[in-house]
Amino acid sequence: MANRQTDEQLDRAGRLVLRSATGSEAETEAAATSPFVFTRMRAAIAEEERRRNETGGWLSMFLVARRAVPAMALVAVLAAILTVWSAQLSAPSAPVQSDEEALFGTPAAGVEQTVLASRNGPSKDEVFNIVVDRNYGEGAK
Amino acid sequence: MLVAGANAGDDLAFEELFNRYRRHVAYTASRFFARREQIEEIIQDTFTKAYFALDSYHGTHEKSFKAWLTQIAVNSSYDQLRRARRRPEQALSDLNDTESHEIALQLRSAGRDIESALVSRDLAVKLLARLSAEDRLVLTLLDVEGFSVAEIAEMTSWSVSKVKVRAHRARAHLRRVLRRYL
Repeated sequence: MANRQTDEQLDRAGRLVLRSATGSEAETEAAATSPFVFTRMRAAIAEEERRRNETGGWLSMFLVARRAVPAMALVAVLAAILTVWSAQLSAPSAPVQSDEEALFGTPAAGVEQTVLASRNGPSKDEVFNIVVDRNYGEGAK
Repeated sequence: MLVAGANAGDDLAFEELFNRYRRHVAYTASRFFARREQIEEIIQDTFTKAYFALDSYHGTHEKSFKAWLTQIAVNSSYDQLRRARRRPEQALSDLNDTESHEIALQLRSAGRDIESALVSRDLAVKLLARLSAEDRLVLTLLDVEGFSVAEIAEMTSWSVSKVKVRAHRARAHLRRVLRRYL
């Protein structure tokens, strides 16, 4: 009960303080009729308009750029597809590995071996014999 | 008519609106600020904001334009209260021993006849500087201006429950501030 009474008393004092902190009629009237307020307000409006015009240029550029994003993404995807497609077209087909290659490994570079190691050509043994025979013949000469 | 003209860029129409409502805006500002310069600043800020927001005003009656302008003035005052709390000179709002003694005397002498009593404006302003901007706003609108919770909610764009909670906390805070003087 006493607490409630104290709260009510404090609330009344609070209202008194709030009312006392308000501007007087004279101050309010002086502020409302001040000849400079309208001039300052017009200056503030002009300044704000200038600021908006400046930022408006950047804003419109940003909006245009934002609208261009989907188109740019589409162009990027198309370019990627074209790149992959053209790379696949120009790539040589993978050579088929012969049985001999699987057994003896990839032959070293050389005209004879390239010719002789073709799929329908002679076997490694035949090639070996040819080379030995040729060397033998040259030696015999 | 005047609003439409001002919105279409008629400077004379806007000047007429300014002349017609400046006293009302000054009165609203004076509920929160006591000094003339502060009230002038709120008038300037309110009409500047109103100028750029005229196309968002869709009312047709003079009364609703006044209410719309009051809403802008209240929000300008609220912004100003928040800015004032961030300033370092706010620390000067602490009451010294003499001032504390004086306000205690004034509050006690007011007794029950509190409606006709007044305490020193400077001391009251210093005392209220201890409240947050939100507390000050909601208590002034409720206790000084006599707005309803719903009206305050509409004015501040807060929810009704937020206004109620804020009012409850603000009152409790003001009681704590005043308890040491009573």
